Amino acid sequence: MTDLLLLFDMLLGLLIIGLAVAALRVRDLFAMVVMFVTFGLMTALAWVRLAAPDVALAEAAIGTGVTGALLLKTLYHLRRVSGTLHLPEALSERPPDPQVPRAVIAANAVMCGLVVIGLAAAFVTAPLGGPGFDAAVADAMPESGVDHPVTAVLLNFRAYDTLMEVVVLLAAVIAVWLVERSLPQSDPPVMGEVYEGFARLVLPGAVVVGVYVLWAGAVAPGGAFQGGAVLAAVGLLLLMSHVYEPAPAHRAAARGLFVLGVAVFTGVALLVAWGGRAVFEYPPGLAKPLILLIEGMVTISIAATLAALFHGREPGVQPRPADTSEGAQ
Amino acid sequence: MTEPLQFWMVALLFLPLIGAIAAFVLPRHAPIVGMGVALGVTGAAVGLCWQVQSVGTGTVALGGWGAPLGINLHVDGLSAAMLAMTAGVGAVVSMGAVNTFGGRVARSAETARPRQYFWPLWLLLLTGLNGVYLGTDIFNLYVMIEVIALAAVGLTVLSGSLAALRAGLDYMFASILGALLLLMGVGFVYLQLGRLDFGGLAGADPSGALVAALALMFVGLALKTALFPLHFWLPAAHANATAPASALLSALVVKAALYIIVRLLQHMPAPGEALVVLMGLMGTGAILWGSVQALRADRLKLLVAWSTVTQIGLIFVALAQAGVAGLAHSWKAAAVLILAHGVAKGAMFLAAGRIRAEVGHDRIRDLDRSPVRPALAQLAFAFAAVSLIGLPPSLGFIGKWMVMEGALAAGNWHWVVITMTGTLFSLAYFSRVFAGFLRFDRVEADVPGGVVEQRGRAPMDYAPLALAALGVALGLVAAPILEFLEIGRAGGWP
Amino acid sequence: MTPALIYGLTGIVVFGIGLFGALCVRDRLRRLLALNLCGMGAAFVLVAGAWRMPPDSADPVPHALVITGIVVLVSATAVALALIRRLHTLESAPEEIPEDTPE
Repeated sequence: MTDLLLLFDMLLGLLIIGLAVAALRVRDLFAMVVMFVTFGLMTALAWVRLAAPDVALAEAAIGTGVTGALLLKTLYHLRRVSGTLHLPEALSERPPDPQVPRAVIAANAVMCGLVVIGLAAAFVTAPLGGPGFDAAVADAMPESGVDHPVTAVLLNFRAYDTLMEVVVLLAAVIAVWLVERSLPQSDPPVMGEVYEGFARLVLPGAVVVGVYVLWAGAVAPGGAFQGGAVLAAVGLLLLMSHVYEPAPAHRAAARGLFVLGVAVFTGVALLVAWGGRAVFEYPPGLAKPLILLIEGMVTISIAATLAALFHGREPGVQPRPADTSEGAQ
Repeated sequence: MTEPLQFWMVALLFLPLIGAIAAFVLPRHAPIVGMGVALGVTGAAVGLCWQVQSVGTGTVALGGWGAPLGINLHVDGLSAAMLAMTAGVGAVVSMGAVNTFGGRVARSAETARPRQYFWPLWLLLLTGLNGVYLGTDIFNLYVMIEVIALAAVGLTVLSGSLAALRAGLDYMFASILGALLLLMGVGFVYLQLGRLDFGGLAGADPSGALVAALALMFVGLALKTALFPLHFWLPAAHANATAPASALLSALVVKAALYIIVRLLQHMPAPGEALVVLMGLMGTGAILWGSVQALRADRLKLLVAWSTVTQIGLIFVALAQAGVAGLAHSWKAAAVLILAHGVAKGAMFLAAGRIRAEVGHDRIRDLDRSPVRPALAQLAFAFAAVSLIGLPPSLGFIGKWMVMEGALAAGNWHWVVITMTGTLFSLAYFSRVFAGFLRFDRVEADVPGGVVEQRGRAPMDYAPLALAALGVALGLVAAPILEFLEIGRAGGWP
Repeated sequence: MTPALIYGLTGIVVFGIGLFGALCVRDRLRRLLALNLCGMGAAFVLVAGAWRMPPDSADPVPHALVITGIVVLVSATAVALALIRRLHTLESAPEEIPEDTPE
């Protein structure tokens, strides 16, 4: 039985490696994205085998789902701009880049090979399943306020990391708005009528699933990031089915949603320090409600931010010359 | 939390974060918020340095857990000095930026949109930088340098020009790769030790996984700090950003990865002679190649950007000057050079931006053709160059002196030769700019009847001038600075 | 032979493939994808390191780190993709390239 599972592991490992190579080698960019998404799903499967369901969920939802959507949107944009949207073999939009010299490729291949061999040797000699945080986490779990260890790590033991991770998302959305600030309005990919109907049907269910994933995070795999990704998918469907159209008037609300998670997280972290405790040190008994509050707000922020990262431009910003109007007020 | 030292540490971390949120939500008040926060952070940094000077090091156990389960913030002399340098340079650059991106009325379409985004990005960058200097957990440092990276890329592409966008994308790629190499290194540290805090690293026995981890992290951070030959992304990114952004990128951003390297050398077990020699060789390459490129650069900001490459190289030569055994002392020379470069390069990029704004271009060979004389900006540039070249009594001079002294004491005369060569080169390439400042006869020769000399001055010129003068004057208080750096390091280098 | 060993080595190979792609591929989209592969490789090593021989449950800390890493990587990817789209738009319309204006 064990041997069969190990055989499965080996085959899955080889498949993952094969998909990685294929994604880089396949000529068509659309096929590349498909390979990458498949790679991500297989990776999630591998992590289930490694007893990491939270990570698998996050990888499937964010690493694969959101990244895949972003890649497809970009691909759509590239092909639309270069007018090759409907060409089946639309690969090279720009004139082909000067080829990398073969010698350089060979040298890099050798170097990467050596890196892999070196890392593999180091990995094999490392004490696998050796020292870890297991004991420390087990000791601290009763005081953490939640029952699921990964959630306890994310929102209590290493809450500082998680706050900064939400800050990274905020930085990303500001940077994306900045980059796309004077792009002409580009329509998001249009969905057919069937899909629009489907979207309207699916939306309420998806909201329920997202909230459930968030709620379940306290005791079982799931949590703010996975729940946020599901809700972000809802946002994408809303945007793509034109149920919701971002309007200039919504700009302030959007900004508020993006910072909501960071603001509440920061506020809680600092307020609990009032009574002589350390920053992020939740008072005993209040840990669970505070963590749920933070998780809820962070989920909303993540969902809004991921949807905005997909949508791109700040709502309602016209390209120049209307560009100066706001600054002049 | 009730201790003042801990209070200042937390303030340095959260003040810029709250400021970034406010600046993003209230875009019209962003310049006021940004300026206020920059000054507030400077005040907090002064308070922190005062406390460190009087009570020594401090630790905050976030969440009350303590390392290794939780994350600790820690401050010692080196951290406090980096925080103070960051806050000071940041405040002066903010003053310069108020000129570019400030005011309630945008000066032109070019700055109307960017000014909304500059302040939140810069305050997020400041959050990340302060987080790095206070951090003691290598995974947390990875998250922090990603905060820095995204904010820094945003600042790079602020102008929206094609050149800036291309440079920004290359920077982004280099940045992601550097961060992922660091993450892989973190993975190997976890495999071997099962913990990620500096304290756990310090007591570890050398092993294969730790060697792999150190190699991965070193390469990743070298890419982030643009150490030759991994510097390819830097000149275009720093030269094409707007002036305040260039000043932040060159003076502050590359220092974060550099600081982490210094910390890793301090805490990782036995970095090994080979790594130290490699750092010296890469630094040498940076000095030679960067100098040649600076001599060939046709634009002022490009020259300044290449000079950053050479100065980064010099800092690595400073680390390598006396081999592994000498690291216990040579890190101080590197730290002094980091501080000197931060102050001087911030001033220099701001001055270069002012010169370009007044003259209308920054082609070096045509600088002396302009009838506009931005004398104050030129003076600031010259003062900054004094510190970067290493003329007495500047802080840069002290740093180079320590490098040569340490190298001679260790019998490594080759590092002395490299340092001297770098100094001569820097004199040569900065002289190209000085020549453009000094000669005025070409304008009169070009225009029959001569032209009336115009002064290109603005109150904003005093910001870089003050910063550059500070860089020179700090050399006079080098002894207290060195003593301050050693706080918390009484036991010497492990 | 354990799943941790198999998937850890898988991750290292994926990391190497991604590294090669990041260095040698010229197409921007593909290079970004290669960097994502690198990130997945690093995540594999952490998740494999957290695995414990059953019946022990895995170490939750690396799991949390990888979740954080995934979100950070998506953020960076989104910014890089925005840059790619913008650059492509500008480069496809050469007559509209804005001057390299002074700031």
